[in-house]
Amino acid sequence: MRTLLALLLLASPVFAQQIGNPTAQQGVIPPRGTFAIRNARIVTVSGADIENGTVVIRDGKIEAVGANVNVPAGAQTIDGSGLSVYPGMIDAGTNMGLVEVPQGANGTVDTSEVGDLNPNAKAIVAVNPHSAHIAVTRVEGITNTLTAPTGGLISGQAALINLLGTAPKEMAVVPQLALVINYPRVAGGGGGGFGGFQQQQTNLSDTLAANERQLEQIRRMLRDAEAYGRAQDAYAKDRSLPRPDRNVVLEPLVPYVRGEQPVIFRADREAEIRGAIRFAEEMKLKPIILGGNDAWKVASLLKEKNVPVILTGVFSLPLREDDPYDALFENPAKLQAAGVRFCISTGDPGAEARNLAQYAGMAAAFGLSKADAVKAVTLYPAQIMNVADRLGSIETGKMANLVVTDGDLLEIRSRIKYLFIDGRPVVLTSRHTELNEAFKNRK
Amino acid sequence: MMGIWVLMPKIRSRLIVALTLLFLVSNVNAQRSAIDTYAITNARIVTVSGPVIERGTVVIRNGLIAAAGANVNAPPDARVIDGTGLTVYPGLIDSYTNLALPEASPSPSPGPGGGGAAFFALTSQRPAAGPNSTQPPGLQPEVRVEEVIRTGGSEIEASRNIGITTALTSPRSGIWMGQSALINLAGETPQQMIVRSPVAMHVSFTPLRGTYPGSVLGVFATLRQMMLDAQRYRDSLQIYERSPRGTRRPETDRSLEALVPVIDGRMPVVMQANNEREISRALDLAAEFKLRLIIAGGREADRLTDRLVKQNVPVLLSLNLPRRTTAAIPEADPEPLRVLRDRVEAQQTAGKLAKAGVRFAFQSGSLANISELMVNAGRVIENGLTVNDAVRAFTLSPAEILGVQNQLGSVEAGKIANLTVTRGALFDRNSRVAHVFIDGRPVDLRPAAGGGAARSSLSGTWSVNVNLGGQGERTITLNLQQEGDRLSGSISGSLGAGEISNASATSGEVRFTVALNVEGQTKEATFTGRLANNELRGNVAIVGSAPGTFTATRSGQPNQEN
Amino acid sequence: MKRYIAKLLFIAIVATLPVNAVRAQRPTAQETLIRNATVLTVTRGTLENTDVLLRNGKIAGVGKNLNASANARIIDGTGKFVMPGIIDCHSHSMLDAINEGTLAVTSMVRTEDALNPTDVDLYRELAGGVTTLNLLHGSANPIGGLNTVVKVKYGRPANEFLFPGAMPGIKFALGENVKRSSTPNQPGVTRRYPNTRMGVEEVIRDAFTRARDYKRTWDEYRAAVKNDKNVMPPRRDLQLEPLVEILEGKRYVHAHCYIASEILMLISLADEFGFKIKTFQHVLEGYKVAKEIAAHGAGASIFADSWAYKIEAYDAIPYNAAIMTRAGVVVSMNSDSDERARRLNIEAAKAMHWGDLTEEQALKLITLNPAIQLGIQERVGSIEVGKDADIAIWNGHPFSVYSRVDTTFIDGDVYFDRQQDLARRPELAKERTVLEQAEPNKPRPQGQSPQTPRRRPSSHEHDDLEIEKP
Repeated sequence: MRTLLALLLLASPVFAQQIGNPTAQQGVIPPRGTFAIRNARIVTVSGADIENGTVVIRDGKIEAVGANVNVPAGAQTIDGSGLSVYPGMIDAGTNMGLVEVPQGANGTVDTSEVGDLNPNAKAIVAVNPHSAHIAVTRVEGITNTLTAPTGGLISGQAALINLLGTAPKEMAVVPQLALVINYPRVAGGGGGGFGGFQQQQTNLSDTLAANERQLEQIRRMLRDAEAYGRAQDAYAKDRSLPRPDRNVVLEPLVPYVRGEQPVIFRADREAEIRGAIRFAEEMKLKPIILGGNDAWKVASLLKEKNVPVILTGVFSLPLREDDPYDALFENPAKLQAAGVRFCISTGDPGAEARNLAQYAGMAAAFGLSKADAVKAVTLYPAQIMNVADRLGSIETGKMANLVVTDGDLLEIRSRIKYLFIDGRPVVLTSRHTELNEAFKNRK
Repeated sequence: MMGIWVLMPKIRSRLIVALTLLFLVSNVNAQRSAIDTYAITNARIVTVSGPVIERGTVVIRNGLIAAAGANVNAPPDARVIDGTGLTVYPGLIDSYTNLALPEASPSPSPGPGGGGAAFFALTSQRPAAGPNSTQPPGLQPEVRVEEVIRTGGSEIEASRNIGITTALTSPRSGIWMGQSALINLAGETPQQMIVRSPVAMHVSFTPLRGTYPGSVLGVFATLRQMMLDAQRYRDSLQIYERSPRGTRRPETDRSLEALVPVIDGRMPVVMQANNEREISRALDLAAEFKLRLIIAGGREADRLTDRLVKQNVPVLLSLNLPRRTTAAIPEADPEPLRVLRDRVEAQQTAGKLAKAGVRFAFQSGSLANISELMVNAGRVIENGLTVNDAVRAFTLSPAEILGVQNQLGSVEAGKIANLTVTRGALFDRNSRVAHVFIDGRPVDLRPAAGGGAARSSLSGTWSVNVNLGGQGERTITLNLQQEGDRLSGSISGSLGAGEISNASATSGEVRFTVALNVEGQTKEATFTGRLANNELRGNVAIVGSAPGTFTATRSGQPNQEN
Repeated sequence: MKRYIAKLLFIAIVATLPVNAVRAQRPTAQETLIRNATVLTVTRGTLENTDVLLRNGKIAGVGKNLNASANARIIDGTGKFVMPGIIDCHSHSMLDAINEGTLAVTSMVRTEDALNPTDVDLYRELAGGVTTLNLLHGSANPIGGLNTVVKVKYGRPANEFLFPGAMPGIKFALGENVKRSSTPNQPGVTRRYPNTRMGVEEVIRDAFTRARDYKRTWDEYRAAVKNDKNVMPPRRDLQLEPLVEILEGKRYVHAHCYIASEILMLISLADEFGFKIKTFQHVLEGYKVAKEIAAHGAGASIFADSWAYKIEAYDAIPYNAAIMTRAGVVVSMNSDSDERARRLNIEAAKAMHWGDLTEEQALKLITLNPAIQLGIQERVGSIEVGKDADIAIWNGHPFSVYSRVDTTFIDGDVYFDRQQDLARRPELAKERTVLEQAEPNKPRPQGQSPQTPRRRPSSHEHDDLEIEKP
């Protein structure tokens, strides 16, 4: 009870007047401890909602959850009356921490390496824990993002991070979670940008031929990595063999070509998605589709091959003139109905990942159940990234990434009241709340 | 000569016609004799202006139709053509072409201050339009095709072979494109060919590149501003003429001067507009400035029939009917419904215009293969146009719209003896053109020469200047071998070395793909260009990069053909 | 002959298709009574269990137990929400060209010349409850082209879109986009002035100085010509005429801007020349100078929460709407994007989430306030008797993420209806099958390859940088 007041103060706007308080954003991270949220509605996601229950957090983990859970002695308690507890939301398709200002400030952009094949580019190396985007995002209830590089054909490796920490290592949940491959795109061009001209449209058969050559580049490198892995293993077993040199580019590929870790393919159009599935099968990879605007057209194949999709296009305009106006709003509901594993992501570099809840909400407006919409930004991404043992629901033993709201998690009018990441109570301030405080009373 | 035109703008056009006619007549008198009198007897005569004469005679003398009728007898001095089984039509008019004009050169890259890629050979080959103009290329209404017309050529021959005797020939490009001429498709000199010039001012809404106006927004602002400037120019000249003393002399301006007949409604303006919104914009602009508008293209004109009738705007309707030109590829998106509908509906436009009472004439609309013209006319007839209306749209209607209805467009005594004589009715699939008379003389009909203009070989070594967006110029060496349409070769130089692929050289267009080293990455570059004056010019498209341009000149094995 | 018959048959089939019907179908302004709905009037609060009567294109009644004519369409509004059609105060939909970027001052160009009424994104916006758009020129130049205010009458010809009586406007632009435009990516093209915010100020100052002189020249001429018919008329200058209209208060300035300093610059320049800025567009740092904006009397038309996509957007905060509203600025929430325009309802609700605006204040951000900013507040922006029947029926509260539009009306006509849309899908599929069989649409076995499909910009791309709509 003694610390409850302090905690409330931290969380309330009154206290947030400490503009630029380094503890609010960077420097010292809040300590773990024992906390209990009582009398709250608990949306466990993995199980039934608990209308009036308690969640106990200790040393970073969820220690207990239920209607009849005892509050341990010495726990800091939060009265959750009228509030709801949800697992933190997860955005599995961002470049969080890799880019601060994409346009006109190249120095802040660390998303895309030179060259086409960069499996050794690791997002976790470059994530900036002090990026303003991180606090801006987490105060809206997003506790985790998959942060991925974007360049070339093999972009590099994505990291799953907690949106809290003073060093990449502290933030990392899985530092090298997946290899990211840009499946050669069928669609080209797009805006020529200002002051210039529209990108010339190219002929499709030329594009497809060029794509085939690009795919061959990827194929060759993956085969090299496979051979490299076997050579290293053979040498480890039998030192009489010639010692193969270590290769920093091929080495990180080995677990991926062996199907031990997932490979994320960016693919939006039907032909790209089909191509990515075919390629993954050929190379015996464990694919995840990122993007998936046409996934609704390929649902049965995705189901058949058990390939999950991280949908980033809920808020994109339909790809084609004749596509139904709600084609992408409905995409999640159609995948759900077809039994395809999917989750919803903003696909945003970082600044607007905070709007994740509205993406899920839109899917619910167009056919997805509200409960599934919540899953699509909590448990489903955790399952797809193979971290459902740690994240995505409120279950004993899981990492205490929790959001306490005064209403439906996805509704824009709801407020986040408390936030825990890795069992640490997070102050609900950001660059935006600070600027607001600084200017709202300017006379 | 130019000086006279400048000083006497009002009588100019009439004078030209008079001079031209004088010239023709004197020529005819000098060269022709009684053996230029012809009579087509026992033929079916589609007069267009009057009823069809099922069996009659047409007499041609002195370049004109001397008589036509059921009870006309062949004069004793005439060469008689037995017209049994033949049908005589007025010579067909193609109401919008670029016939008899020099080839367009491919777009050069825009230079400092604009240059303008939309600037074609027409202006560059005709100094008269360039130097003292107040306006950049593309905005020079004073340009006149009459000054660059050439005789002969395979395109003219191909048109004659299908029965076309007369064509409106208009500038190829620009916003204020310039002024067109109506020409007969035979004659030993350009002067003999011209029936009337100038006929109309021509306008397109295609922006210039790299300079103002660089978008359709600017195009309309420029059109308006220049017409306002022309009004002021006209008014200022009048004021100055009234009281030169004490008034500052207005500067002469050939571009504005050329617009005065347009804004005064003396010269019609042909605007290129195919879809509904372009036509609508043209109608708005014409109403705003009280222009005598003619729409060229007109694919969706049927959607605006009320306005076309109300504003009395005729249409030069293109028979280059839209159709899918691509093969099916599974990865391709299905074509938009809008496109599918538009193609089907384009076939119905002519019929709908006729029903709504919109005046229209046919034009070939730069059909790649002119022999499709009659096939497409047939398609339009299947889609609701009557045969009579179709004949009229090739004859009297264009003559009326272009202001030569007293000279052309029907089989009547006194009109120019342009006649198209067919075996079988004009639009029947099995009909063929038996005789064509132009200015009273029969024209040799030959099967069209295959493939158009003779090709020159591309084989040899080329020095290629490649200009990629923002990266300055690079020079590479290109070795080409051509055998027919097939092209092979390789590149070497600062952008890498390698074989070219997907290479072709068809109908004047050269195309190949090659891997280039750009920004430290190897990228597919597709070169597309045209050969002109022993120089290859065109564009470079690079997957994932800004497009560029290239110019190639021969650096080895100079080709003797050129 | 067989072929000919087949062709005739085909024509007959095509003729009976709904194609033309769909396109030419003029919505008949049928009388419509929506019964027992929750009505968000904007100006008179939220009315529960209320009827709304639409007659002759106007809102003819709002109240309980309204009567309608015998042939009126009755819609059961139980559980539904009726709100005014959303007004998007910054759009580039239906423009064939957005920027005339070749010059620094392009006040002679008019977006009205480039309208494309067949842009399918218009339909998608209708499906988001949007009925009115402020079509603005892009941000390539300090002084851009003239705007066009339209009602989204998708399916009708362009001239029927024009919003009668809307105040004429013009686009200005300050900051990075203008600067960036001076560095074209075409080789050999000279750089365009200006390249700094200093130069932007100078260009606008110069233009208004010329405009003032231009007006004087004409005034002098008009006086002189009364006595002397032989006075040479001055040149009519389409570039300067709209600027004279601004000086005379006859044309609204919509100024794209970001940072506080450039906002203050334009205010002081406007004050100096004696004209008003009607709206600052984007105005992401408006919250820093809210009192100056309010004092000038300008409105602000903003993004809800976009930020950090470029340097001048780095200090943007989602509390912008709330801070400016409280300072007395008329604020609207716009899209500047065909994508975002489809969910402006949620964008408006964000001002409740960040900054605690009331529901009514938030609703105004996309209805009455943009109407005021465009000079059409007497016609639209709220549900009041006598106003245009531009409304949308939602299946839930429009500020809920779970809600979507059932029906959108403009001037009492239905322009979007979800049930009709769903019902039409199989018909369209059938139509496609038939059309694909038509001769002109058949693939050519020896033909070229189709073009690579164009990529559409993602929802994360901001700003009016395009020359044309991709």
